[in-house]
Amino acid sequence: MKAIKIKRFFIYVILFLILFVTLVPLLYTFCASFKSNMEMLTNPASMIPENPTLDNYIKVWQSEDFNFFRMYINSIMYTLVSVFTAVFISSMAGYAFAVGRFRFKKLIFTAFSSLLFIKLGSVSIYATFDVLNLLHIKRSLYSLMLIHLFSVPVVNIYLVRSFVFSLPGGIIEAAKIDGCTFFTTFLRVILPLLKPVLATIAILSFKNSWNDYLMPTIFTLTRPEQRTVIVGLLALKNSDGAATNWNLMLAGSVVSMLPVIIAYICANKYFVNGIAAGAVKG
Amino acid sequence: MKLRSKQMSELKKEERTCYLMIMLPLIGFFVFSIYPIFWTFRWAFYSYNGIPSETLFIGLDNFKKMFTTDLDYWKAWGNTLYYAVLKVPFEMCLSLFIAVLLQQNIKLKGLFRATYYLPCVISIAIVGLMFTNMFSINGFINSILLKLNIIDKNLDWFGNRHTATFMLAAGGIWSGFGINVLYFLSALSNISPELYEAADVDGAKAWTKFIKITLPLIAPVAVTIVLLALIAALGSNEYVISFTNGAPGGQTRTVMSYLTTKFVPGFTTNSEPPIGYGCSLSLVTTMLFASLSIVYNKVNNKVNSIF
Repeated sequence: MKAIKIKRFFIYVILFLILFVTLVPLLYTFCASFKSNMEMLTNPASMIPENPTLDNYIKVWQSEDFNFFRMYINSIMYTLVSVFTAVFISSMAGYAFAVGRFRFKKLIFTAFSSLLFIKLGSVSIYATFDVLNLLHIKRSLYSLMLIHLFSVPVVNIYLVRSFVFSLPGGIIEAAKIDGCTFFTTFLRVILPLLKPVLATIAILSFKNSWNDYLMPTIFTLTRPEQRTVIVGLLALKNSDGAATNWNLMLAGSVVSMLPVIIAYICANKYFVNGIAAGAVKG
Repeated sequence: MKLRSKQMSELKKEERTCYLMIMLPLIGFFVFSIYPIFWTFRWAFYSYNGIPSETLFIGLDNFKKMFTTDLDYWKAWGNTLYYAVLKVPFEMCLSLFIAVLLQQNIKLKGLFRATYYLPCVISIAIVGLMFTNMFSINGFINSILLKLNIIDKNLDWFGNRHTATFMLAAGGIWSGFGINVLYFLSALSNISPELYEAADVDGAKAWTKFIKITLPLIAPVAVTIVLLALIAALGSNEYVISFTNGAPGGQTRTVMSYLTTKFVPGFTTNSEPPIGYGCSLSLVTTMLFASLSIVYNKVNNKVNSIF
């Protein structure tokens, strides 16, 4: 009995130790964001700032050339549009692939799935530029949103499709007898039932688009005023003044992480539901 | 007869509705997925830097170049493998270990699980930024190590290939182990507790139970988990760019980040990057990743047939 107790004690010690190590980088960043740049350099080891100051946050929000407020608005807009797009497209496509009868359904579905195995890397962005040039669309955060509208959200389609499969088959038959067409069945009967799976999709695409770095950087290259928070912070890191701007970058990092961390705390369940989706994604 | 034609027209209507419902991704599939593949394939055989008048068909020259004169691409593969070797085995063992511990009727299980997953929701670019600060020469890590007397003067983590790759691996594990803990937990939850009870009756030790019961039963799923982690590590891109960005001297640049920093506007310093050459490198990269998936399928089948 005693041996078991000692064993349990050690398990808790290990788990708490890992918990602590997991939190250290976040706690450090949070605490350091209240330090002055000077203190950050002279006394990096202490977690608690000697003279805690809100200056960094005030500077971040007020800085003219950094324009954090504008970037925050851009991030919010970009994320909202991406979330709405993901939910809109994957719910319809998932339903059509689950119960719809149309020619080439299998072929199209397989073709979509095969995208999971193609890793062309970012050089193929030039092909996208070609298409945009052809349509006389300039590169901007807005045209990136337009591209998102035409993306193939394979994993999300899988999620909706398997959810529709799991519904009792009688529902759709009953709707048909009540005079619903294929589309009104979707709108009035299926869509309300999809809520949990759409919540998962929404939260995952919220996380992904808020955190997005590569594509927004490429598309806002000539338009600094359209940068998102992540793009702006990394641009500051790569600029000449990086070493003297750590206070701004850390305070900015904290503010940039807040939305996803709050969403994670509030909607933990939906994040975890998405794990299975991640496993398919590969 | 009339009923039949009514059914037919209903079916036609349904087909039309279906196509309307998948219209956007279907157009996007051709325009933004298939077209770039053919595009890359085509330009891989050209000397092309975006300027029409300087475009020239050069056959296999791009491919010859990458195997003979320009070996940077393969060096990037070397860096990538080094990073993956430092990261994946440790990450897998750690995640499995934590999952096994959490499986032991632990209180606060939800809290542990949720906290371990927390770094996964943070932007990988921000992870790179945070870790750059922590590992900087007058930074947090150095001062802690000094206090613990592990080092006697500040270490330049970015100045040496091995410390830089180690640091990359550390940040990568921090930001990714949580998801693997969740994967392993769901694999473990499929093992029936009666097996362990039977082993307890026989007086089996914890280690024996792990080797004889846990490991064989999760093996098929574990192969998938390991492969996902491997592909993620080999494909890391933004993370490397936002963290070491190749320091020192490109020695930590992974393949994907090499392609990005060499050819993509906003990341490359070259105003007219040799796009044609980039396309041939992309093609080779795609094929290498695809063959990894094939190897994976083979291994997976084998594992499934053994256990």
